Amino acid sequence: MASLDYIFQLDVPFITTRQATIALNTLSPDPILKPNEITVEYSTKDTQLSIVFKGLSDRVIRVAISNVIENLKTIVECMEEFDN
Amino acid sequence: MINLDKHIKPSRDYYLALGLEGSANKLGIGIIKHPKGELTATNRAEVLSNVRDTYISPPGEGFLPRDTARHHRNWVVRVLKDALAVAGLVGRDLDCICFTQGPGMGAPLQAVVIAARTIAQLWDVPLVGVNHCVGHIEMGREITGAQNPVVLYVSGGNTQVIAYSKNHYRIFGETLDIAIGNCLDRFARTLKIPNDPFPGYNIEQMAKRGKNFVELPYTVKGMDLSMSGILAFIDSLAGDMFAGNKNKLLVAADGSSVTPEDLCFSLQECLYAMLVEITERAMAHVQLQQVLIVGGVGSNERLQQMMAQMVQDRNGSVFATDERFCIDNGIMIAHAGLLAYRMGQTNELWDTVCSQKFRTDEVYVNWRDD
Repeated sequence: MASLDYIFQLDVPFITTRQATIALNTLSPDPILKPNEITVEYSTKDTQLSIVFKGLSDRVIRVAISNVIENLKTIVECMEEFDN
Repeated sequence: MINLDKHIKPSRDYYLALGLEGSANKLGIGIIKHPKGELTATNRAEVLSNVRDTYISPPGEGFLPRDTARHHRNWVVRVLKDALAVAGLVGRDLDCICFTQGPGMGAPLQAVVIAARTIAQLWDVPLVGVNHCVGHIEMGREITGAQNPVVLYVSGGNTQVIAYSKNHYRIFGETLDIAIGNCLDRFARTLKIPNDPFPGYNIEQMAKRGKNFVELPYTVKGMDLSMSGILAFIDSLAGDMFAGNKNKLLVAADGSSVTPEDLCFSLQECLYAMLVEITERAMAHVQLQQVLIVGGVGSNERLQQMMAQMVQDRNGSVFATDERFCIDNGIMIAHAGLLAYRMGQTNELWDTVCSQKFRTDEVYVNWRDD
């Protein structure tokens, strides 16, 4: 297996711990299509969601990050409108 | 007799379900209400809201997964707010949130399920994954009152002849290559006619003005169909027509030139005749007298008319719905999902991954016992 040398960590602050957990539970079910090229790990600490990308190249990491950010936008927008 | 009320909330005598559909270029969200007990002609489901926003690509272009997913992401929260406002509900009133789990385009499905997962957790409401085709079938049955029909499911992504047997919707015949709606959409692109409101509608309007029938390949293969060859054939005819090339097929019997309208007319007649043929054979095989047409192409009046002619000869009846229910919508997902929910089906978060392939006959239809 090729080594996944390119690493990037994304930290996203939420308002509450619950929101951070919901975001993690929403993002984590979808499988990574090419696990030998990239891995994505999610974790939360208090109100912060951390996402660690480990990939074969800058390019595959960029694609994965942009995908996660697109999904995060939907999640945050839902929280803004419907969390009350 | 099936008990559909084992999971009803103690303080209520009805159910409320929200459905999210985004397997192709329509984003639809709807809310349905089921009264307690078996659904019958006097105890019917009630549509509380049915909101849809369609991604329309420019003439000559199809909708691509990436752009369609972006459209759904941009609109999902607004459509959701509308659906709740029209129904006069808040999220926590719901019994379940239903979403299309497949089949369909991967990226748009995934964009919508993200919203479904988030609101399900925010409101603490269970999720129910729904097969898109079963959504069409159940909604068609509920709206038309057809009890046990042969179902012709015709849309941009699917072409199937289906009949119910022993807790599954069995596929009797289907396309071997492209779907009928895909064939029509792509021919509309060749002609560069608008995709608004949808390409099949515009082909239908042009076909009404067509007079000359151009013979096209007729490709029924047993109970199945093939349509890619027909598309290639008519595309090349259209190519010759626009380029002004000589082609004896482009000269009508009265010596006049074949027009784009004639080609639309011929394509419709040929494709729909094939559909009518396999539907008739399925009716004879399972000895049913009812036909239910669902899916976006089901809104085509010429198809409904041809089907009615065949069914009349067999002393049967045709059921079809209007564009609110046969074109992809959220309410059908809510309806089929709520039936499954009432039988105890819910999906845990890890089990909400969408799939591009999800066959109609995989679903265990335990809410029927006939």
